[in-house]
Amino acid sequence: MIVTNPVFWFALLATGVVLLFIGKKMDLLKTTWYAAVVSVVIAVAYFHLVDHYLMEMQGLDYWYLFRK
Amino acid sequence: MGRQNSRKMWSIAALCAMIGFLLLPIATSLNALASGGGEAPPAAPVAKAEGDKKDAKVEKGRDVYYKTEGIVSGAPAPKTEDGPKDYPRYNFESRVLLWFANQQHLYYGSFVLAVPIFCMIIEFMGVVTKDRAMAKKYDQLAYDFVKISLTAYSLTAILGGILIFTFLTLYPAFFGYLSSIFRPVMHIYALMFVAESGTLYIYYYGWDKMKEGLLKWLHLSMSVILNVIGTVLMFLANSWIGFMMSPAGVDEQGRFLGNIWHVIHTALWNPLNVHRILGNMAFGGGVVAAYAAYRFLSAKTDEERAHYDWMGYIAMAIGVAFLIPLPFAGYWLMREVYAYRQQMGITLMGGLLAWLFIIQATMIGILFLSSNYYLWQALGRMRGAEKYQRYIKYMVFVLVVGFLIFITPHTMVMTPAELKAMGGQQHPVLGNYGVMSAKNGGINVIITTTVLSFIWYMRGNKEPMVPWKNFGNIFMGVFFGFAYVNIIWLAIYGYYIPANVRVGLSVPQVASTLSCLFFMTALNGVMLKGAKQMGPIEWGKISARSQYAIIMLATAFTWMMGLMGYIRSSVRLFWHVNEIMRDNSPWAYTHTVGFAANMISFNVLFFWVSILFVFWLGALGAKKAPVEAKAHVPGRVPEPAHGH
Repeated sequence: MIVTNPVFWFALLATGVVLLFIGKKMDLLKTTWYAAVVSVVIAVAYFHLVDHYLMEMQGLDYWYLFRK
Repeated sequence: MGRQNSRKMWSIAALCAMIGFLLLPIATSLNALASGGGEAPPAAPVAKAEGDKKDAKVEKGRDVYYKTEGIVSGAPAPKTEDGPKDYPRYNFESRVLLWFANQQHLYYGSFVLAVPIFCMIIEFMGVVTKDRAMAKKYDQLAYDFVKISLTAYSLTAILGGILIFTFLTLYPAFFGYLSSIFRPVMHIYALMFVAESGTLYIYYYGWDKMKEGLLKWLHLSMSVILNVIGTVLMFLANSWIGFMMSPAGVDEQGRFLGNIWHVIHTALWNPLNVHRILGNMAFGGGVVAAYAAYRFLSAKTDEERAHYDWMGYIAMAIGVAFLIPLPFAGYWLMREVYAYRQQMGITLMGGLLAWLFIIQATMIGILFLSSNYYLWQALGRMRGAEKYQRYIKYMVFVLVVGFLIFITPHTMVMTPAELKAMGGQQHPVLGNYGVMSAKNGGINVIITTTVLSFIWYMRGNKEPMVPWKNFGNIFMGVFFGFAYVNIIWLAIYGYYIPANVRVGLSVPQVASTLSCLFFMTALNGVMLKGAKQMGPIEWGKISARSQYAIIMLATAFTWMMGLMGYIRSSVRLFWHVNEIMRDNSPWAYTHTVGFAANMISFNVLFFWVSILFVFWLGALGAKKAPVEAKAHVPGRVPEPAHGH
């Protein structure tokens, strides 16, 4: 599954950051729906990376159930 | 000008000489510490001479914890017997007397160690603040703090004396053994105490003489010295309890092996140090805030109310700032306990003492509920903060649900008949929820909500003016929302994976909470730069209920400290020194939860009655202060807030 790969979440986080810069450049951040989408993308990616790496740091698999 | 410079130079030289003189005994003691505790005691069986000196046999032992070999340098732990020799007594339970003396000394000790740290922080804020009015306010506040701690300091010393006499009178064999093990550092402890007293008195009495320029910085640096000494004192005292719980540096008979660092640096020493520093700070903040609340409630004028409202807020904010990381330090301590002896961890959290942790959870919940309640009440003194009032009911709901999950027990205390009727120790419904996976979710939700309350409080009377405020607000809301989702998701996920994987989920849960704390507080700070003020903070215009919440907070701190001290001490069960020296007194059993709770409550009550006396003394001093000195008392008129 692609979601079990941290690269996917890194890519999502990078997408969020790129969208943030585009939004800033094109003055889109004042638009509520655009700001919300960017925020959701960054937050979801960030928390998944936190979960993945902090479990891996302890030698544990965060995606245990999904791999099963 | 030249004369003034010369006076300054003499003052600096005198101060340096005094500090040097105070630290000299410690410096001379370092040599003994470095050499592993100096020479061996003459009575100790260091070596058995057999004929010629050249043939002398040196007895060696193996360290029970570090597993290293060392030369036996002390007598074995005494094998005590129940009788007047090892356990002389009055017609009362000796353990209860010792419990009382120990707890009172600890309460006051924590207080006088924490308050100088506050003084240091607040005095520093005063020195670096550019606003002169605020600088004066901070300086006066730091002075007020140290004034309270000075009377408490005398009481701490008296209680320390009472504690030593209680040990010597009721537990001479145990105290003799512990003193023999820590002999190389006992005098350092005593000298540190002298240095602490000296520095504290110079710090307090030199306040007015050293209020400007370089001398002010010197005064501030003296508070750093004061706190370093205080912290070392606490670390040394922690090494005794660390040794009693997880001995090291001795062999299996309890004989000292010559390395004092091993004796001090036991498995639990560092987690205890961190946990106690945070705990003391939170406790100290609570007590000072309670003092301010007491003065607020008894204030006769608006000026007084304004000052003590502000003082209470600062003290509470410092206390809560240290309360937030406290549960994480607690987790680390428990983790180390499990790593040291799994059985000890099970006794604590899954066995004999487990129900005390339910009470602890209740107290933690009360602490956070009180903090939130205070912050919500404090919103009332800010114009513009009304916009948050309508959300408070939802926060109450979230906090209460988190609290109820956090305090749900896994097993029930039951009679055999009840046990039979229920078909086991676990309740068919509640049994599913009283597990760490859910509890971790509960407490993290509570802490995250407290962070949110604090951020709202910071924004109360301000309107961000940065061009990206729309995105900032939305991002903050989304980040908090997903932090909640992640915490709850991990709590639920824990039910579907094996225990050895589940145990790691607490780390990302904590990270989610801390992300909110650090990132969102920082983001909020950036957004509030150059913010529009809707109105001043009207210090003193806060409900009396908020002050009772502060008193509740302080009482809950005190109660929880008593409880945690009892839990930590009880886990040794029938050992004075775990697995080394057995407690053979008639009181080597674990008390019932009810008895322990009553004893803790008595200790809390006694502490608060005695500290009220200290507060009263402080108020007495303030009343007799000369008019000129009172002229610059801060907060006489509600002033616009330039910062929080």
